[in-house]
Amino acid sequence: MGALGSFGMATKPQQTSRQESAELSLDTAAVLAREEHGVSIAGRSPWYLAWRRLRRNYVAFAFLFLFFVMVTSCALAPVFANHVAHTDANSNHVGEDIKVGGKIVPVISAGGTYTDPKTHELRVRPVTILGPTWWHADGKFVLGADGNGRDVAVRLLYGGINSLKVGIGSALICTLLSVILALLAGFYGGWVDWVITRFFDLIWAFPVILLAIALGSALSINGFHHFGVNIASGSLWIPTIVISYVLIPYIGRPLRGQILSLREKEFIEAAIAQGATPARIMFAEILPNIASSVLVFFTLIIANNILTEAALSFLGAGVQPPNPSWGTLIAEGQTRLITAPWLTLTPGIAIVLTVLSLNIFGDGLRDALDPRAKIRVEH
Amino acid sequence: MLATGLALLVAACGGGGKKTESTTTTAGGGSSQQKTFPNFRIVYDTGTDYLDPGLSYTVQGWQVMWNVYLSLLGYKHVNGPDGATIVPALAEDLPQISSDGKTYTLTLRKGLKYSDGTAVKASDFKYAIKRDFLVDSPGVGFFTNIVGADTFSETKKGDISGITADDATGKITIKLAKPQGDFQNILATIFAAPVPANTPAKDQSTHPIPSTGPYMIQSYSPSRQFVLVRNPSFKPTDDVPATNPDKMTVKIVEDDSAALQQVINGQADFDFHPIPVDRLASVQQQHGDQLKIFTPANTYYFFMNAREKPFDDVRVRQAVNYAIDRNALVRLYGGLATPTENILPPTYPQYKKHTLYPLNVSKAKQLINQAGVKGMTVTVWGSNRETSKKPVEYLQDVLKKIGLDAKLKIIDAAIYWTTIGNQKTKAQIGFADWFQDYPHPLDWFDVLLNGTRITDTHNNNYSNFNDGNVNQKIAQLKQKATLNDQINGQWAALDAQIMKKAGWAPYVNRQFTDFFGTDIDTGCYVSHVLYQLDFSRVCKK
Repeated sequence: MGALGSFGMATKPQQTSRQESAELSLDTAAVLAREEHGVSIAGRSPWYLAWRRLRRNYVAFAFLFLFFVMVTSCALAPVFANHVAHTDANSNHVGEDIKVGGKIVPVISAGGTYTDPKTHELRVRPVTILGPTWWHADGKFVLGADGNGRDVAVRLLYGGINSLKVGIGSALICTLLSVILALLAGFYGGWVDWVITRFFDLIWAFPVILLAIALGSALSINGFHHFGVNIASGSLWIPTIVISYVLIPYIGRPLRGQILSLREKEFIEAAIAQGATPARIMFAEILPNIASSVLVFFTLIIANNILTEAALSFLGAGVQPPNPSWGTLIAEGQTRLITAPWLTLTPGIAIVLTVLSLNIFGDGLRDALDPRAKIRVEH
Repeated sequence: MLATGLALLVAACGGGGKKTESTTTTAGGGSSQQKTFPNFRIVYDTGTDYLDPGLSYTVQGWQVMWNVYLSLLGYKHVNGPDGATIVPALAEDLPQISSDGKTYTLTLRKGLKYSDGTAVKASDFKYAIKRDFLVDSPGVGFFTNIVGADTFSETKKGDISGITADDATGKITIKLAKPQGDFQNILATIFAAPVPANTPAKDQSTHPIPSTGPYMIQSYSPSRQFVLVRNPSFKPTDDVPATNPDKMTVKIVEDDSAALQQVINGQADFDFHPIPVDRLASVQQQHGDQLKIFTPANTYYFFMNAREKPFDDVRVRQAVNYAIDRNALVRLYGGLATPTENILPPTYPQYKKHTLYPLNVSKAKQLINQAGVKGMTVTVWGSNRETSKKPVEYLQDVLKKIGLDAKLKIIDAAIYWTTIGNQKTKAQIGFADWFQDYPHPLDWFDVLLNGTRITDTHNNNYSNFNDGNVNQKIAQLKQKATLNDQINGQWAALDAQIMKKAGWAPYVNRQFTDFFGTDIDTGCYVSHVLYQLDFSRVCKK
């Protein structure tokens, strides 16, 4: 990165006629440059500078592209389900037959028990479950069937929608709440800070997954019906809210630290002196100064939340059946891990690619916004 | 929150539902000759609820304890239907029953001692029944016909007047309020096993109660392991014979595949778990000699709560019976199941196959339309175990296809039965199964479908099926002391009568697997009609 770039300045030939100016202004440097050298100096905002740094980070962009590919693929799940696979995520085809490469085969074969004529022992004729058909069945059961005769490929895509919904939704809620709490704690200090910090400590005291399992399982039985809020037991809102709640201090605490430091800066004192309201100071003065951290946290926490959702769903406390998510698909697939490893591998790979892409892009974003920052989501 | 976390930790521990099982169709009779060996290493699943005879009510608990805590009566330790034969265990002989069928008299065998060397007294039987009430045993319902049991149940003080015990002579007399055809079976349950009178009236699983059977529990670490060793005070009889393993080490492993692998690797001698569906073919091919498949007396069904809309309408219940493809449901269990529409399993002499509900989805839709419930929201309940989750996911899909707006509610197996057995839950439809407590039709019709036995909590009649004619017929047949062809025919007719009103939607009778290590001699294999594999009869090559 060049010296000019690092000072936020750039030069370019000035084509307009030279203008004389005897007055000094805040843009004196720009005026003098124009007068003496015939060039104009364009002002560059921190966002522009960050963008310029980011766009040179091709790796980060490549992984952002990968993330969009994942999101777009999942978003097209209904199109694939309706027009290619001709089923939906939860339809059982257990007793049905399909045509694969011109041959009729059962989705799950009949199976049963019989008495061995030689030993007179009861023996089993195990069922066989349809494996991947790739494209030999006109797009049906591309990745085979699960134990209920459901199309695995369709469930994988719908599972992605649910995982991304929970991951992004919980990241939004978590970030929003964390920012508000951190602003209140950092700006007001005193008892407000004490209460909010103790609240952070309280959540922090529990291991994230354990707390999320406890909340997720409790709410998955009867849902949430308090304070005028009614959430049904199988709703995606439950894992979304549970995950956002348990991760609040992991964003809130570092932001509060930054705000405590900003609170003592001269520009805040100036704003106070000018009679700015607390809301204005918090949202117009402080918030823009922590925006880059918030943005990085938001990106990284999406990846983190997708992983948490997968863990919760794997343990049965996240997305509830029959709705698929990448975590529930891994859990369902593990019973057939030896004979049908793709059931576990495909959602596993999807999680890895999504989380990896968000993490690498998040790192790139952090480097671009504030290379000195050491923002991490750790628990 | 913590409580929930803890609940999750113990989540895997409840049994699949109720009790044991029935006849095996496997060959082999088991050896009567004693073939001792040092240690029988068992890999068990997480279904052991308690190792306390007053509290355990799972297949796993009873399978262990029938060789530890003997009741006055017991069952023959043999393969096949003969295993249902009631024999004296701690009693000298079978009971003398008065002509009115209301008084049972038994005498304890002389010189009986517990594993700690103290004498077994006749009054210990009385205390065991009282203790059942004191610990709120799930088995108290079996004893409420004893005179004075109802009063004791309420007051938890004094005595049960209908039981008299003479410690000097060992004579025990039991008086019933009404004749009861299955009372000998009830006396043979583990709930009726005598325990020392100083046994605390609380769970003693981790402080094992002194035993009367061939084995005693040496140690128990819940969810990890328990060890059984020979009872030094036990003396074999013709009916409770000498046993083979000197010791049994029972390791609790949750994962089916891991359990199977331990036996294949020679780290264990017996795998209790069902073999995972996708491993069945290879295990049968490579280790066929070590594999036994047996058919316990069980019925898997969907309950439909007749107190809740839309299942209060018989047409809706019939629609469900028409809509489910029972052959498809067999496939969900990997082929180890047989489709059924009956309440009783085919191993019962009272079983008479009926085909009232051939698969007919259009008729099901028509019935739903006639009932005027199209589009109504229903919640399908199931537990998080594979055996329950798969069929309810299937059922939800089927209900949607016939015009109901079905939602799914999957809850932890540990709380499933108590949740759906609580009237406040108002569970509309869902998964249920039943394994027999004892081989008698009353264990099915009276316990599961008698409308007069519906309770607010711990209800076993999940369908809340309450039909006056059916209740009357059960009461009438309950008083028959013996089961003959004519009575069996009446039970079979009752089965059809209930199914015409679609009290349940039964779908399969399941089969299960027993898998042994290479050095176990399967010639000694005894799969008992009630308690499945008889650990005490296992021998090595």
